[in-house]
Amino acid sequence: MTEFKPDILAFCCNWCSYAGADLAGVNRLQMPTNVNVVRVMCSASVKPEYVIKALSQGIDGVLVLGCHIGDCHYMTGNHRTAKRIPLTAKVLEKVGIDSRRVKLDWVSAAEGDKFQQVITEFVEEIKGLGPNPLREVRF
Amino acid sequence: MTVRIGVFICHCGHNIASTVDVEDVVEYAKGLPGVVYSGRNLYSCSQEGLTSIKESIKNNELDRVVVAACTPRTHEPVFRRACEQVGINKYLFEFVNIREHCSWIHTKEKEEATKKAKKLVAMGVAKVALLEPQEEGESDVVPKAVVIGAGLSGLSAAAALLNQGIETHIVEKEATVGGILRDIAVIGPDDVDAQELIRSLTETVEKSPKAHLHLSSKVTELKGFIGNFELTIEGGGKEETVQAGAVIVATGGVEHRPEGEYGFGELKGVITQLELEKILGSGELGARRIVIINCVGSRQPGREYCSRVCCNASLKNAVRVLDTDPDASVTIVHRDIMSCGTVAEELYREASDRGVRFVRYGLDQRPEVSSEGEQLVVEVFDETLDEKIDLESDLVVLATPIVSPGDSSETSKLLKVPRDKHGFFLEAHVKLRPVEFATDGVFVCGSARWPVSARECIWQGQAAAAKASIPISEGKVVIEAITAVVDPEKCAACGNCVISCPYDAIEIVDTESGRAARVSEAQCKGCGTCVAACHNDAIQQKGFSSRQLGAMIDALIRATAEVSR
Amino acid sequence: MEKKKVVVVGGGIAGIQASLDLADRGFEVHLVEKSPSIGGHMAQLDKTFPTNDCSMCILSPKMISCADHDNIVLHTYSELEAVEGAAPSFKVAIREKARYIDVDRCTACGDCVAKCPVKVPSEFEEGLTIRKAIYIPFPQAVPMKMTIDKDQCRKLTEDKCGVCKKVCQAEAVDYEQEDDIIELDAAAIVVANGFDMMDASTMPQYGFGVCKDVVTSLQLERILSASGPTSGHLQRPSDGNEPKKLGFVQCVGSRDTRTHSYCSSVCCMYATKEAILAREHAPDVQITIFYMDMRATGKGFQEFVSRAKDSYDVRYVRTRPAMIQSANGESGVLMSYETRGLAGEPVTEELDLLVLCPALVPAKDNYSLTKILGTELDADGFFVTPKLAYPTDTTVYGVLVCGFASGPIDIPDSVSQASAVAARAAEIIEGGRA
Repeated sequence: MTEFKPDILAFCCNWCSYAGADLAGVNRLQMPTNVNVVRVMCSASVKPEYVIKALSQGIDGVLVLGCHIGDCHYMTGNHRTAKRIPLTAKVLEKVGIDSRRVKLDWVSAAEGDKFQQVITEFVEEIKGLGPNPLREVRF
Repeated sequence: MTVRIGVFICHCGHNIASTVDVEDVVEYAKGLPGVVYSGRNLYSCSQEGLTSIKESIKNNELDRVVVAACTPRTHEPVFRRACEQVGINKYLFEFVNIREHCSWIHTKEKEEATKKAKKLVAMGVAKVALLEPQEEGESDVVPKAVVIGAGLSGLSAAAALLNQGIETHIVEKEATVGGILRDIAVIGPDDVDAQELIRSLTETVEKSPKAHLHLSSKVTELKGFIGNFELTIEGGGKEETVQAGAVIVATGGVEHRPEGEYGFGELKGVITQLELEKILGSGELGARRIVIINCVGSRQPGREYCSRVCCNASLKNAVRVLDTDPDASVTIVHRDIMSCGTVAEELYREASDRGVRFVRYGLDQRPEVSSEGEQLVVEVFDETLDEKIDLESDLVVLATPIVSPGDSSETSKLLKVPRDKHGFFLEAHVKLRPVEFATDGVFVCGSARWPVSARECIWQGQAAAAKASIPISEGKVVIEAITAVVDPEKCAACGNCVISCPYDAIEIVDTESGRAARVSEAQCKGCGTCVAACHNDAIQQKGFSSRQLGAMIDALIRATAEVSR
Repeated sequence: MEKKKVVVVGGGIAGIQASLDLADRGFEVHLVEKSPSIGGHMAQLDKTFPTNDCSMCILSPKMISCADHDNIVLHTYSELEAVEGAAPSFKVAIREKARYIDVDRCTACGDCVAKCPVKVPSEFEEGLTIRKAIYIPFPQAVPMKMTIDKDQCRKLTEDKCGVCKKVCQAEAVDYEQEDDIIELDAAAIVVANGFDMMDASTMPQYGFGVCKDVVTSLQLERILSASGPTSGHLQRPSDGNEPKKLGFVQCVGSRDTRTHSYCSSVCCMYATKEAILAREHAPDVQITIFYMDMRATGKGFQEFVSRAKDSYDVRYVRTRPAMIQSANGESGVLMSYETRGLAGEPVTEELDLLVLCPALVPAKDNYSLTKILGTELDADGFFVTPKLAYPTDTTVYGVLVCGFASGPIDIPDSVSQASAVAARAAEIIEGGRA
């Protein structure tokens, strides 16, 4: 059997996490190649539907990364993210998708090292969970 | 609708091409839906690169463009402008980051990085196919500025704004202006009277009819955006609301108090550099034998940075001690002397020539301070002599770093601007945007950003003022077309979006399709919170619609299958 | 109302930033650059400390903004000819030197370069490679137009050849072209003409020009650059081999009362950067930096030095070299120095490649500019800025200075100083009016 290489989607907010990811790059912090970043303006614009769509079509994991609470560029946007994503996780459980496949975390524009750490750990966690069972019914 | 997408992959010299097989990605992109042209450039952002992109757009009649290169945070405007120059609406451009997010973080995994670059390009292509042309709105700029902090950098910023005729509010938490400079008599190495400098800057402020000085005051709330900030200033039991087009952060730094180190707070005669400044200012230097220890609490684990100004302060004060008392003995115990430039290096030579003794120590063998009766003894391993020596002294001065003030985290949260791990404010780009924050209309200067000399404080204050004066003199700012729009046909007028909007930009109104939400474009900041709150998919954010993001997810799945074949 | 004009002299990063801020502020900027392209020394750098951001990547958008800006008029290959009057109504004459090219016709296709028979050392590549007599100084040049070097061109010197005109399908070559003098009224003048690197061969004791494998830091910058003469491969000049032992010597001609007594301010950090990059390009190379004081005073600098030590095994040795000579015959360098402390033993070390960090000195044209502007230079040759409260004011009101022209300074400080110039110019021009 070939080694399991998870496919992961990461929604990063423009102001903190995307900048943190850029900083990780600038500092040449090495990390697994499994994560593909999608830039959104605020983590609060990530619809639960995106997470559900991605996981139900076989993506192995979804990360939602935003500014730390209190640092949101849009004042209180990430307060909503903080409620929405855990709720999304519950919905996933109900339909039989392991809720550990979605993760919410905060990465500031100064935290290139935290971005590296979050990515590395999440990839390991997803590797531990194994392939998304819905992979097989992808097409 | 058929689209004609062009994809341009950047080598960025070695930066991308040494990890990602650019040619392979170019070939892959040719097969993506809607792509009619795929090519590469050594440096896409060079004039040569841009010219070739523009020519490809014309020759291939492209109507949408994807550039896979570095980060949109710095380079999106360059490519958007190029698109506009050949008649493509700039919102029909999509940026794919294969440098910061790929080649730089996977330097040893060439094959996997190439696959990832293909996936990212496929996602960008899927999004660009669904993008729509947009028009940008404009908003008026309040012709006023707010400067937070009235130390040297803040006063310099305020003076530069006022001298350009711009109405300025200056908010200072203390009862007096001047900041750290209040404790300093003479500014080195220029030998300028510090109090005279504060006085002349204060005079500029006090004379100006357009200045509003708020002493013993704090900014407690900031709302709005570039051109239209609204700040609440609290002071003296009063609360005032102020409108401003731009905000400058000049909250400065404070001297680190080295409690418990080298006998500080325990032994009589062990003081900090600022305390020595005060003694020198008073003209009552009793001590004859003075030892200055540099790098106390800096350039060591836990606080690794060099505070930039302490060496020059030590040199200046050593010379001033000798000016006061030519027979005094002064020793500077240091690790490296950081006298960069012309004037500072000259000061170092002057100090040396006038008999100041320099003893170099290493981090592994730090000096120790003890008392023997009335006198202090500094025991230090002199790296140059290669032996341990005792320095008897009457006064031991600890040169400690400038640190971020305790309330800078509060300021950071209030203004939504980031700080680095030492608590100093993090500018938009360390190299080329030193006085700007990533947030438009908010600027930083002086030791709030990094410990700086008086001269640097002044020019940075003026630099921040220049940046703040640009939108104010322009009178208008452009609103990026990333605002939310409602489809009244789909809208159920449930009001979820109204509640979720952090800017009160949405209201429920009567429309031709019945009751529906409406977004005020001038108030919408484009966060997209309402989009995720809508149960009916009736609100979309321009440039980030659910169709576009959904297409990116589909593209990732498809591309993953393709590249692992 | 007609826009007030500001003349900026020097198209390096300081001049570019000053121009952009002044232009954004609503003034009409005339940017005068003596070489064929704007960009200055920053364009030559591979990366920038302490983030190792690619220099051209961050500079190029600014260069293009200058070219595209509605309020900026570029006068490249031009010099300040004469200045009369006082602020805010200087009368300025700018000499646009003949490029012998019709820039409206030139497409920079390169057909002429391919055929030009004259080879001269490339200034941009620090003499490591050649350029032709008709040339574009570097691939990202702004403007992207050819220039004929009239001192080298065989047509212009001996009336022979003429091949570039023959092959140019755009008919852009014009051997008859003459210098043009542009006259304009300016409210303020900004000096941002940067620095030169000291000619290291003037101090033969450091071996430059004597040993083949002694290079300058700017040469190494080009060697490390992907677009440079070795395509970024770390190679030494004598035999093209990858060095196993690489050394840097700091303070060559600076902090030295016999030559330049001041500290050039940026060498400690760029040597650290180049060491890290060299190691990234050639993972087996052992690197030593020979220094006097390690001056890492800027944001993130000390951490950068620690990273060089801890993650890239860069060795820092505090010493000054006593003697530098060729190793055995053609290749390599022998360097003698004393180790730490007075009790230290003299050591001789063999290095495959030695990099000198020469003093960064006032630009050659400072003296002639001073004559034209009436400003003063300090003992070291930099522009005097006598007023602490106005750090960018020279001794002449309305003539401002930013960047290395007023003394050693790094890029971020040059950039903020350039912005400060914009504020000061606005004060002078618009004082009291909003």
